[in-house]
Amino acid sequence: MEGGLVGFLEKNSIYIVLAIVLVVWTGIFLFLLNTDKRLKAIEKELKEK
Amino acid sequence: MVWKIILFILMCFVIITGISFPIVEHPQGWMQFPIIPGLGEKAKIIFFHVPTAWLSVLAFLMAMVYGVRYLRKKNLDDDAKSSASLQIGMVFCVLATITGSIWAKFNWGTFWNWDPRETSIFILLLIYGSLFALRSAVENEDKRARLSAVYSIIAFLTVPFFIFIMPRIMLGLHPGSLEIDPNSGKVIQGTSPVVDFKMNGNMRLVFFTSLAAFTILYFWMWKIRSRAIIIKENLSKKLI
Repeated sequence: MEGGLVGFLEKNSIYIVLAIVLVVWTGIFLFLLNTDKRLKAIEKELKEK
Repeated sequence: MVWKIILFILMCFVIITGISFPIVEHPQGWMQFPIIPGLGEKAKIIFFHVPTAWLSVLAFLMAMVYGVRYLRKKNLDDDAKSSASLQIGMVFCVLATITGSIWAKFNWGTFWNWDPRETSIFILLLIYGSLFALRSAVENEDKRARLSAVYSIIAFLTVPFFIFIMPRIMLGLHPGSLEIDPNSGKVIQGTSPVVDFKMNGNMRLVFFTSLAAFTILYFWMWKIRSRAIIIKENLSKKLI
């Protein structure tokens, strides 16, 4: 058994799940942020035309 | 931008506390949840499953509000908003059904038990599912918007009954249902730990934070979706 963070995570695997869910949420959040930005750009373009 | 940051932080808080805070027999520290006999770690579903169901109610409500607005002002943008809200409501309704079903397999034994709440969400899925069929069947924009607005109003009238009343006046497995008293054989307000779900302060804090975070998420998703629909309509008008 390794010590440190890896050993801790091996014994308490719920924190691995936690990390994964946080990564998923961050991904969804960034995706929404990006979609929002794109829509804004399209709206601007439509207005100008 | 501020509320997007607030949303991100709130949701991270809910995920971190909701998943990692331990459930113990006698909670003492601020980072412990009480054990609910018969549920154990599975009680944590409440932080993620209930908000999805709440969002579908909220989304269907907003769909009705914008349906009414359309009928009053005849502005097609309101119909786009109503339609976007219906779509998001449907997504979260399906998510609530799936998450509940997975959970039920491990807590109640089968994926589907026809518990009052399961039955009512099934009927809601049918009611709102047919609204999409109705929308796609009408080609004329104004007619479609008017029909959809009227349908969303009538459909929402059933929601309080199915979500808030029916599950509370029938025997069931969800928290808040009635149950049969083993001693007298009479129907009573649920007292078994699973049905009479009691949260402590910490749990309630995480739960209501979760509701708030999901609500902000809904409004953001709704805005994005309705803007996309409006852009699409404007574009198709320009092309014609």
